[in-house]
Amino acid sequence: MNSIYKHRKIIKKVLAYLLISIGAVIMLFPFLWMVSTSLKPNAEIFALPPKLLPETIQWENYTDLWSEEGRNIDFFRLGWNTFKIAFTVSLGQVVTSSLAGYAFAKMRFPGRDKIFFVYFASIIVPAGVVIVPNFILMRYLGLVGKHIGIILPALTSAYATFLMRQFFLAFPPELEDASKIDGCNPLQFYWYVLLPNAKPILATQFLLTFQWAWNDFLWPLIMLRKEEVRTLQVGLSYLSQQYFTDWGPLMAASVITLIPIVILFLLTQRFFIRSIRLSGIKG
Amino acid sequence: MSKFQRVFSGVRTWVARHREQLWAYLFIAPGILTFLVFNLFSTLASVGISFTDWRLLKPPNFVGLANYQRLFADPVFSKALVNTGIYTFVGVPVGVFLALLLAMALNQQIKGITFFRVAYYMPVISASVAIAMVWMWIFSRDYGILNYLIRSLGGTSVDWLNNTKTVLLAATIVSIWKDLGFKVIIFLAALQDIPEDLMDAAKIDGARWWQQFTRVVVPLISPAILYVTITGFIGAVQGFDIVYNMRFDHDGGPARATTTLAFYIWEMGFSNLRMGYAATLAIALFLIILLITFIQWRLRKRFVYAEV
Repeated sequence: MNSIYKHRKIIKKVLAYLLISIGAVIMLFPFLWMVSTSLKPNAEIFALPPKLLPETIQWENYTDLWSEEGRNIDFFRLGWNTFKIAFTVSLGQVVTSSLAGYAFAKMRFPGRDKIFFVYFASIIVPAGVVIVPNFILMRYLGLVGKHIGIILPALTSAYATFLMRQFFLAFPPELEDASKIDGCNPLQFYWYVLLPNAKPILATQFLLTFQWAWNDFLWPLIMLRKEEVRTLQVGLSYLSQQYFTDWGPLMAASVITLIPIVILFLLTQRFFIRSIRLSGIKG
Repeated sequence: MSKFQRVFSGVRTWVARHREQLWAYLFIAPGILTFLVFNLFSTLASVGISFTDWRLLKPPNFVGLANYQRLFADPVFSKALVNTGIYTFVGVPVGVFLALLLAMALNQQIKGITFFRVAYYMPVISASVAIAMVWMWIFSRDYGILNYLIRSLGGTSVDWLNNTKTVLLAATIVSIWKDLGFKVIIFLAALQDIPEDLMDAAKIDGARWWQQFTRVVVPLISPAILYVTITGFIGAVQGFDIVYNMRFDHDGGPARATTTLAFYIWEMGFSNLRMGYAATLAIALFLIILLITFIQWRLRKRFVYAEV
């Protein structure tokens, strides 16, 4: 009896390892293939059978992207544009959503829960529905082709506010009472009591927003047509249109757009994984 | 006391009495204002614009329901509906199933769990443009590695991205692959919260693994399944980035095979500058999302065992 159970357990474990290993290979292979292709000369890219790793490393796929006689793409410019937008948006969302999340969780005011419900429900309004009127609005404001047109609508987020509210709901009430006796106003309380105690969630929110803003595509595609204002994603999309099936440089450009966010993720993956727990979606 | 002073001190006591409320409204003001302008006003404006023939460069004319009449007669719109439907109703269930399978395997006290988590989450954090690029290369007809594998197993090459029958499938595969890690991590978190004694009790009762799965595991993680399904549907119905970038000329696929609703909105609004008709399409998309959300909300009452 016991040995059958033991046998079964071992089989189960072997199957589990097999399954997740196949899964991991499928998940990681495209990244390996991207990097490998980006370093191969054309002869190796189009070799059959394909080689997993390059035999001769061809850095020109990268350097040609920049050089004036090559493709002359200013990746530093694209990267800086993307960073500027993503950083401002993340900082803005951390500030606005923590303030609003605190108000919705702990402060008393008429209509609080109704306002929150309607506000949170807005996350189901799809981007596709509002791009037309928002673009027209931006045109009237003269913000098409400017980064502020990307930043402004993204400085707040209903979803981030929801996460912050979840966090502050679990915030110990003793801290609050103590500071009320000390006569803090809500802003001082936020600054001196809440923020120091909320550093991990603020960092998590910052990372989530940064990653989202870095990868955002549709709205920047519409708003940023001119080359000098484009983000990395928009730039790469235009690049593929011009140089298609030129796989070496195309993969090199793809690697460049991914590297910053992948490094950030690898350094901070605990925050990313933990953020899922914060959403309160657990069995 | 002059009248001014009386009003002033009245305001001051009112402010003092409502101090916390005023702070609270101030704190929520940025989010609410953004919501009012860029969501609520915009959604309403979409309705207004859908009754016009606005082409952005010319002033709009009121055309009544002409755009809606056109919608129902537009073969590209029906095609986009079908494509979006396939992309969503194939992609999401397959993704949920695979993610559940992998999460259950990961929940067996696996060594190196951090590595697997990171591996599965890599596509989630990566931008869809670069993802689309490398998958186009993998799917490429003559030199793509997928066709090479198919040929070495005795099959024949498939022109994945130029064949009307396969290109949508290819895009759906990429979208499943990209979002799988998000689903896996959520399911894993839910599975880890199932009390061990509950599983032990089921084992002692002699429940086979299939019964354990359907009677114990699925009911206990049903909130996670619902959450992943809803977010999956809402994301897939708006699918744009992958189908846009998996064609070099951004044409919506051979014979419109990868034209999704979101792609068609973009094309009408920002390639053809027909804002009126684009807004009409946008409203159709919005109604579909409302319908899906509503249906899932109702299903939740019936199938979800524990409340979130």
